[in-house]
Amino acid sequence: MFLTFASGKETRASDLDNMHHVRILIVEDERKLAQVLASALQAEHYEVVIERTGENGFFRANAETFDLVVLDLMLPGRGGLEILDTLRKRQVHTPVLILTARDSVEDRVLGLDLGADDYLVKPFALPELLARIRALLRRGRPTDSLRLKASDLEVDLVARRATRNGHPIDLTVREFELLEYLLRHQGHVVSREMLAHDVWKEPRRATPIDNVIDVQMARLRKKVDVEGHERLIHTVRGVGFVLRQGEP
Amino acid sequence: MKGLWDAPSIRVTLTGWYAAVLTVMMIVYATATFVAVRHEFLEQLDDQLHDDFEAAEERLTGTPDGRVAWNGDRHHDPDSDDTRVYEVWSANGEQLLRSGAAVTLPPVAFASLGTSDRYETVVAGGERWRAVAAPTSIGGHAVVLRVSRSEERLRTQLWEILVVLALGLPLVVVLAGIGGYLLARRALAPIDQLASAARRITAERLHERLSVPNPNDEIGRLTSVINDTFGGLESSFDQLRRFTADASHELRTPLSVVRSLGEAAVAERRNAVDYEEAIGSMLEEVDRMTNLIDTLLRLSRGDAGTIRLSREQLDLGQLAREAASSLGILAEERNQRLTFDITDGVMVSVDRLVLREAIVNILDNAIKYGPTGSTVAIHVGSSHQQALLAIRDEGPGIPAEHRERIFHRFFRVDEARSRDHGGAGLGLAIAKWAVDIHGGEIRVEQTSTGGSEFRILLPLDVSVPTEFKAAFAERGRTGATASKL
Repeated sequence: MFLTFASGKETRASDLDNMHHVRILIVEDERKLAQVLASALQAEHYEVVIERTGENGFFRANAETFDLVVLDLMLPGRGGLEILDTLRKRQVHTPVLILTARDSVEDRVLGLDLGADDYLVKPFALPELLARIRALLRRGRPTDSLRLKASDLEVDLVARRATRNGHPIDLTVREFELLEYLLRHQGHVVSREMLAHDVWKEPRRATPIDNVIDVQMARLRKKVDVEGHERLIHTVRGVGFVLRQGEP
Repeated sequence: MKGLWDAPSIRVTLTGWYAAVLTVMMIVYATATFVAVRHEFLEQLDDQLHDDFEAAEERLTGTPDGRVAWNGDRHHDPDSDDTRVYEVWSANGEQLLRSGAAVTLPPVAFASLGTSDRYETVVAGGERWRAVAAPTSIGGHAVVLRVSRSEERLRTQLWEILVVLALGLPLVVVLAGIGGYLLARRALAPIDQLASAARRITAERLHERLSVPNPNDEIGRLTSVINDTFGGLESSFDQLRRFTADASHELRTPLSVVRSLGEAAVAERRNAVDYEEAIGSMLEEVDRMTNLIDTLLRLSRGDAGTIRLSREQLDLGQLAREAASSLGILAEERNQRLTFDITDGVMVSVDRLVLREAIVNILDNAIKYGPTGSTVAIHVGSSHQQALLAIRDEGPGIPAEHRERIFHRFFRVDEARSRDHGGAGLGLAIAKWAVDIHGGEIRVEQTSTGGSEFRILLPLDVSVPTEFKAAFAERGRTGATASKL
């Protein structure tokens, strides 16, 4: 695998993993997609169980303990929404992330009403799925620190100050937000969708915004990755951007 | 088989109503006629009786023996007349004369003579008689004279008239019904022709039109309406066809790139960097396709009218500044200046996201095509109950022949160049769509320096001033927060 979404133990390490092994159930009938998801999640050191029908998925989720369920809505036999509804009625409160090809507002609202914790519309970007899963697993645990660090880059969220090897970096508001976001997802690729949505607060991704993101990222990189320091911000072609250490 | 009465055609219905109305009218008419004729006949009979009475008074004389007799020339012999009866009584009730038909009529009610109607109808020998009785004087004697006439002839005549009316009525109704049916068929024939002509115009022959013989009559107007409908259908069909063709072309292009990249990558052993490069390219194309499909879906939802706008009252200038600030960095990169000539307080009632996207797309276009170091001017104002947003660039402008089509989906003035910019030719189509669903208008004009000026016109919102709305919104928000706590 040439694309790695996690670059090593030190960046991925979170308090969660130390406590126990994270188990994720994937209920997805499309074999290829299920396998890709499984291998991407395994690369993040999650333990993955795949079920390919609604029935089996339901029994698994009901009988065993998982930290998260990734649930496709369009399933043969029992539909995703029905499974979700039944699980919640049986007081199974495992976080559920639904995958749907239908992006009408009604479907999303219905899914969230029935107790889904998050949703993604197909086709989704893998980095985004991983980010959402991390967010769901992190939920309820205070992980927000006031200081973010990568190599000799330090960001003080309270003072809104970034320094590289102690030298302050002069950043615009947008650049600071962008850097903060990259640091929060340190070691993980962030897609343009994620940036458009989370940093630019654009509800929809559009070509002009992509261009804006690219320009902004180039400027940020020029300021952060100055000569004589380790390159931290990398472009993953066709996927997005990643801030990580230990790369040439 | 479909019966005539299961679902009667307009023709049958019309004829039925026509016949029903005619029947009622004929019955009323026949009844009135009969009543009038009968009345007239009875009057005539009474007149005749009156004449007979007077003639009898003249021709009766007293005889020396105290009786009464016919006198003079007897060219008319009352005795041989069996349709009349003459009777004369003396004042004390003795019958002095009786001549005419051999029938026994009821006796005269002397007591009521002169008080009740002098004319009466009596029945005798199974027949009806009309009689007139009155006191008179003959040869100096006071007598009572009664003249009676048989009503039989009159009754026979009335009966005949009744028979004619009764038999004629259904005949007339049937004949009129047939006539009405034929007339209705004739009048409705153009509609049948219209239907069969319209049936011939199918999806493949939508360019054909129905002929309009007389555009001013009802059928002509109907035909014009149908033709207009076909016109609308044809243009949306054409649009759809073009759209489908363009969309599949636009999707095929990235798809074939993905395929070639994949095929080339597996064909030979390469190092990791090369593979990464190939996969990255493929992902870029996938991304392009994803965006394209999202946009197409949105447009098609807009076409189907299933998009609900969440309108709010907004300051157009504010919205323009917002859009400009989010794209400002792109202009900066090209050393372009964004200038603002904005009248504040130009209020419009719009869906923020939808309209903002339109502005962003047009602004992006202006920045993209404006040369390095040029100026992009943003103007917001209002005139004639309309809000105006104009974005002017110093680019090469759009040739006059393309100005209409520039808003069409997938249209690009310069195919190769636009694709390099990453656009699928949908930005302006989206902008037009967004402006259209707000009841606005978008067009492009040439500026004096040769650049383009995009003008968005929107209906002005002249309702409640914003300050009030803002105050209400503020209150609403506070309330919501409070209730949540």
